[in-house]
Amino acid sequence: MKIIVNGQEVEIRDDARNVLEALREVGIEIPNLCYLSEASIYGACRMCLVELDGKDIVTSCTLAPREGMVIKTHTPKIYEIRKGILQLLLASHDGDCTTCEMNGKCKLQKYAQEFGLNMNRFEKISKKKVVDTSSIIVRDNGKCILCGDCVRACDEIQSIAAIDFAHRGFETQVVPSFEEKLENTECVFCGQCVAYCPTGALTIRNDMDRIYRALENGKYVIGMIAPAVRASLQEEFGLENDTAMAGRIVSVLKMVGFQKVFDVAFAADLVAYEETHEFIHRLQSGEKLPLFTSCCPAWVKFAEQYYPEYLPNLSTVKSPQMALGSIIKRYYSREIGVNPEDIVLVSIMPCTAKKFEAEREEFQGDVDIVLTTRELVKLIKSTGVDLKKIEPTPFDRPYGLSSQSGLSFGRTGGVLGSVVKVIEEKVNVINVRTSTVREGVQLTEIELDDGRIVRGYAVFGLGNARKLINDIRNGVVDADVVEVMACNYGCIGGGGQLYPNDVRTRTKRAKILKDTIGLDVLVSPTENFHMRELYNKYLGQPLSHESHETLHTHYKYRKRIEVAEIDILPLPTEESEKVKVSVCLGTSCYSKGSYELLEQLIALTNREEWAKNLEIKGTFCVENCGKAPNVVVNDTIIDEANIEKIKEVALDELRRKKGDTEVSKSNV
Amino acid sequence: MLTRTFDKVERILQKYDYRPEMLIKILLEVQREYRHIPREVVNYIGVALGIPPAKIYGVATFYAQFSLKPKGEYTILVCDGTACHMEGSMNLIKSIEEEIGIKPGEVTQDLKFSLDKVGCLGACALAPAMVINDEVYGHLTPEKVKEILRKLKERQVE
Repeated sequence: MKIIVNGQEVEIRDDARNVLEALREVGIEIPNLCYLSEASIYGACRMCLVELDGKDIVTSCTLAPREGMVIKTHTPKIYEIRKGILQLLLASHDGDCTTCEMNGKCKLQKYAQEFGLNMNRFEKISKKKVVDTSSIIVRDNGKCILCGDCVRACDEIQSIAAIDFAHRGFETQVVPSFEEKLENTECVFCGQCVAYCPTGALTIRNDMDRIYRALENGKYVIGMIAPAVRASLQEEFGLENDTAMAGRIVSVLKMVGFQKVFDVAFAADLVAYEETHEFIHRLQSGEKLPLFTSCCPAWVKFAEQYYPEYLPNLSTVKSPQMALGSIIKRYYSREIGVNPEDIVLVSIMPCTAKKFEAEREEFQGDVDIVLTTRELVKLIKSTGVDLKKIEPTPFDRPYGLSSQSGLSFGRTGGVLGSVVKVIEEKVNVINVRTSTVREGVQLTEIELDDGRIVRGYAVFGLGNARKLINDIRNGVVDADVVEVMACNYGCIGGGGQLYPNDVRTRTKRAKILKDTIGLDVLVSPTENFHMRELYNKYLGQPLSHESHETLHTHYKYRKRIEVAEIDILPLPTEESEKVKVSVCLGTSCYSKGSYELLEQLIALTNREEWAKNLEIKGTFCVENCGKAPNVVVNDTIIDEANIEKIKEVALDELRRKKGDTEVSKSNV
Repeated sequence: MLTRTFDKVERILQKYDYRPEMLIKILLEVQREYRHIPREVVNYIGVALGIPPAKIYGVATFYAQFSLKPKGEYTILVCDGTACHMEGSMNLIKSIEEEIGIKPGEVTQDLKFSLDKVGCLGACALAPAMVINDEVYGHLTPEKVKEILRKLKERQVE
C-alpha cells in the first residue's frame, strides 16, 4: 500500500504490523524505547509519536497502516515532545555513564546525544536504587526507565515472568516477587531481558578481570569458542559477512596470552555423536521418548523447574561446553603434562546461562571462566588490536576440528540436524522431510526402512517450548526427539550477544553462520577424525562406561521459588546422620492426601527405631502435580507416594549414608 | 499452625473456583483472614492459579488496599484529608505515637495495633476523625485519642 511520509509517497508492505515497523523497512527508524517486535505492543515510552493526517499526534507503534494516510515523523512539536520525554527520563536516571556496562550501547544515551540534551530543565530526583548482583544477571533499578521490555520478554516470549512491575507511580520498579534476589527465583538466566534492555538496568556480570588475574598468576590459560560467537562480531569491527572471524579471535586471544584455543564446535560434534547413540538406544530398547536435547542450560533449568516428570527424557549427554571442559581437564591435562589445577579454561559463549551452567554444583572445576560475546569484544577492544587487519590463526589441535554439524549448533535446528546426520549413517533412512509448523517450531520427519517414521522437533523460545511440551503431554503431538533452544533463533540470539540483538540482527547472524558452515568440508560428526581419535584413545565406544563418566550428567528437580521449608519434625543431629523427607503441601498433593502421609510419617518415626533419623519437613509445590502426592527424600522425588514407597527410598538413602552394615543391623 | 494456614487459603481458592481472573477478590479475602498478604500465601496462590508470583506481587503492591506487612488487630486509620488536617490530625498521630509507640505504616510488636494515615474518610463534619476497625471517632483531641487507645488496651488484658 502507499502512504505519504514527510511529503513523499512511500510504498510499504500491506501486512506491516504498525507504522513504526513499516517505516523501519523503508529506512526511517522512528525513535523508540519500549517497542519489541516479538512481544505485545506496549506504547509506554511515547517516543515514537508521529503526526497523522495533519492533526493528531499518535504513537506509531500502535498505529495500523492505512492506504493514503499522511504521516509526518519529525515536526517541531514532535521534536519538543521527544526532548521533553528524554529530559524527564534523565531527571530520575542514574546517569553514571562511564562506569555503566551499557556505555556506548545504551539507547537512552544515544537519544540524549542525538537530541543534543546538554542540560536538563528538570530538577534531578533520585529513584530508590536497588542493585542486585547475586546472580550473573545484574539488576540496577536506578537505570531502569520502566519500558517493560524485560517484563514482556520474560513473560510473553519465555513464559516465565520472573520479574514484573511492582508498586506504583514514581515508586514503580521492575522486580522479582517480594523483591527477592534473582538467583533465588525461577529465572533461567537466558538473558533475553538483558538482550532487550535499552539501558544499563539489566546487564551481565563482567568476568574479564579474572582472565588477567589467571594470566598474572602464571596459569595455563586455554580458550574455547562457541559457534554462534563468530557470527556476531562482524558489525562491531566494520566487517561484512566475514567467515574467517573465528580465526581472527584465535589470533587476538593468543596475543593476550592464551596458550591454546579450541573450538566448541568440536565438542558439538562429539555431543551430537554421543546423543544420537543415546537416541538410537532408547528407540530400539523402547526407553523413554521423546528424547529432549540438553545443550541449552536455560532450557535445562526450565525443565528442572516446570517439567520434572520429563527429566528422565532429557539427554544425559553434557552440553558441548561442559563436555569439552571435562575432556580438557581429564585427558588433555595429562597429554600436556599440566596439573588440571593449573589450567584455567575460558569458555567464550553467546550465552548468559552458560555462566550459570559452569557454576552448577556437579560441574565445579571443569570450566573456570565463561565470557559472553560482549565481554570478548571488550577484551579485544582494550588490546587496541584491529580485528579487521589481523590474520586468522587456525584453532589448536586436536579439539579444533569440527564438521558442518558441530558448527550448526549455533542456530536453531542445528542439534537436531546433526543428530539426523548421524542417524542416517547408523540406520537405513529412506527419506528426510523438514517443514515449519509455526514460527519457532520445526518438524523433521525421518522415514526409516522398516516403515517407522522418527519425528524430530526443533523449537526455540521457552514459551514455544512450553506449548509444544504441553501438546506432547496431552497427546496432541507425537514426538521422538525434541531440540529446545531457549533464545529466539537459537544461540545466535543468545543473551550475551552484541547489541542490537533483535530479529533483524539475528537473521543476519544466521546468514553469516550459514556461510561459515558452508565452507567446512566435513559434513557429519562421524567425519571428524579427531573426535574418532578421542574415542579410540580414551572413550572407547559411545555410551561406554568411560564416556558416561566423562560426557554424561544428571538432572534434579528444582523449585521455581526458593521458599524456606517448614520444619515439622526437625532433628538437631549432624547433616550426615539424617535423611530429609519433605512432604509436598501444595494444592494437588493436599487434595490427594499429603496430610495423611505426614501423619503416617510422624507415626513411623515414633514406631520404628531407624526412622528416628528422618527429618520431616513440609514443602511447597514440587511442580509435579499430575502425579500427586509428591514426597521428596533428599533429592529424589517420589510421585504418587505412599508410606511404603517412602520407607523404601528413605531406607536406601540411610544405608547409603551410614554404610550398609550399621543400618541393617539396627532395624528391619 | 500449618494445617490452619493452608485450610484457609484452600477454602478461599475453592470459593472462587481457582479462577485466575478472581485474583483480586482472592487477595482481598486472604487479607481479611490474615490481616495482610503473607509471602507463602502468594506463592501458594501462584502455583494453584498458574500465575507467576512476580505478577501477584505486582498486583498486591499496586493497590493501597493490600498490605504485605501484618496489620494490627486494631487497625487505626487517621484521616489526613484537608478538613482533618486543618483541625489538627497531625497532633492525633503524634499522640498515638506517644501512647503506643508507632508511626503511620507501622505495627506494634504484639500485633495489637497498626497505624495508617489515609486521605479523606468522608467525615469532614467530624474533623478531626479516625476509624478503628470500622468504628468512626470524631471531633477528636489528643487526649480523647489516648483515652480511646487505653480502653482498647484494657479490653485486651481481660
